[in-house]
Amino acid sequence: MKRLVNILIVMMALLPLASCHDQPEWKNDPYGNFDALWTILDEHYCFFAYKNVDWQEVRQRYRAKIHGGISSRELFDLCSDMLKELQDGHTNLISTFDVSRYWIWEQYPINYDERLIDEHYLHFDYRRASGIKYQILSNNFAYVYYGDFANGIGDGNLDVILNGVATSDGLVIDVRNNGGGYLTNVETLVGRFIDERTYAGSIQHKNGTGHNDFSEPYDYYFEPARGRVHYNKPVVVLANRGSFSATNNFVSIMKSLPNVTVVGDVTGGGCGLPFNSELPNGWSVRFSSAPITGPDGKLTEFGVEPDVKVDMTEADAALGKDTILETAFEILKKKRNN
Amino acid sequence: MLLVACGWQCAWAQDATQDATSEKPLRPVATMFTAQYGHASVLDTYLSPVRYGGHAMSLGYEAQQATGFAPERWTRQLSLAVDYDYTHNPAGNHSMHGLMVDARWGMMHKWSDVFTPSLQFQVGGMTQFRGGVLYNAYNSNNVVSARIHWNVGAMAQAIYNTRIKRLPITLRYQASLPVAGVFFAPDYDEAYYEIYLGNRKNLAHLGWWGNRFDLDHMLSADLHLGNTIVRVGYRNRISTSWINHISTREMNHYVVIGIGGEFLNVGAKHSKKVNNNIISPVYQ
Repeated sequence: MKRLVNILIVMMALLPLASCHDQPEWKNDPYGNFDALWTILDEHYCFFAYKNVDWQEVRQRYRAKIHGGISSRELFDLCSDMLKELQDGHTNLISTFDVSRYWIWEQYPINYDERLIDEHYLHFDYRRASGIKYQILSNNFAYVYYGDFANGIGDGNLDVILNGVATSDGLVIDVRNNGGGYLTNVETLVGRFIDERTYAGSIQHKNGTGHNDFSEPYDYYFEPARGRVHYNKPVVVLANRGSFSATNNFVSIMKSLPNVTVVGDVTGGGCGLPFNSELPNGWSVRFSSAPITGPDGKLTEFGVEPDVKVDMTEADAALGKDTILETAFEILKKKRNN
Repeated sequence: MLLVACGWQCAWAQDATQDATSEKPLRPVATMFTAQYGHASVLDTYLSPVRYGGHAMSLGYEAQQATGFAPERWTRQLSLAVDYDYTHNPAGNHSMHGLMVDARWGMMHKWSDVFTPSLQFQVGGMTQFRGGVLYNAYNSNNVVSARIHWNVGAMAQAIYNTRIKRLPITLRYQASLPVAGVFFAPDYDEAYYEIYLGNRKNLAHLGWWGNRFDLDHMLSADLHLGNTIVRVGYRNRISTSWINHISTREMNHYVVIGIGGEFLNVGAKHSKKVNNNIISPVYQ
């Protein structure tokens, strides 16, 4: 019995060591929700230094605008304006009545017309697998349109697609207006255009609440899709400002490959892997939390420059021509003739 | 879990059969299947800075038996559980699912006749594995928080056998307190995608009361209805951790109901010869 009492005394003496820590809890009122939003970004957002944003100054400027009678929609607009200071397409405030956004591509030429391509190049005659349109055109160049990296790509489907275009002299991969999705789909797709382990970039993450608290960059590589159908002829990737997030990542990696040319406009950027959080009132917030570089070691938060910069022209569009696609054909023709 | 429990039950009962053919005392297995329901309070700042609350459910199995060596003084216990939490944020527009499996094995020294012949204390050590995920569908790259713990710690129970009128009742308070172990945690804002890419540094952490604290305890009354034992009780589970600036806090309260009994697998040819002493791990 004495042993039992001794054991209990020792354990009770050690209990105060038990992990205890303060966790801030914000009130569900305008100030509480604002402070929660500001703090979440302050502790988790990854591009303050890269974008030279003085987040403390931003807080003071916007918090001073809150007043007791502020409505929910007014608070949402105020918070949205604060988030736009970050110039980040991955940073959104989401409520039941609106989604704040900083979508830079809305301010640039669209540079893509799906109907024009369907009508004048594909003649409404194309195949579709895994959400990918594909067809060999009359000039014997293949055209593939992938509009959403959130659509899963099956290896079997990719085999079918690449077998279907195997007799072409060159391939156009159109990812214009592809707003991103899963990075695993980037790996799946790129794996069909590489023959050896290929450096794809590096990823970091915040390892503390400070603005400059980052882990060491982790280099990552893509493996070729072994035993699967590959495409080894010249490839042109078409991009525009709507090529965002995972698509931006895809373009940056494809651009580094020797047989690939990127044509069109600067991509929309978005190289921060987004996390989500929420406020006491139930609004969600999405933000960039982990910076990913391209194979050149650079952040592509503001986009990837194309190898050949070209915009669609109204004159060409009136003639049923896509200026960017025509430029791609010219590049492929030169490579075919060489 | 039922299959595992039955398998374990058979193994332990076989042990009891061997006892029956020898002069050793018989050691019945006290087993209990429980269904538990209550309230869960969950905070995991990897997923959300706000605390979620809602339903807590659990299915459990428990087996106790006196040990083969020194059966008068030692008992061993196995418990298995599947816990499911379905919780909501305070605004009520987001939900989170938590699914965990828990396996615990312990051995306790028994002190009988403490203050009164009806009261006994058991204190010992245990090892525990607990693993599963919290899933918040509204998130993107931080959509899940994986939990994998392996702990060693203390386990204790106080048992009081009494009667209400003619109904035998066993009142029991049991606590399980991990002291140290190993557990999985990603870095502060490390995405599982980065782990998938191959960065598996610093994912395993030594656990101690400086970075995590867990306590699982239960107050129960076992009602002896003939050979069947019905359990009613209250269970509380606390789990907190603080690692890489990620805070997790879980507090679950359950109402426990269960059914079980003491099982002794004695073969027919031996049954008439049996006059061994019977040592129950819990009951009198």
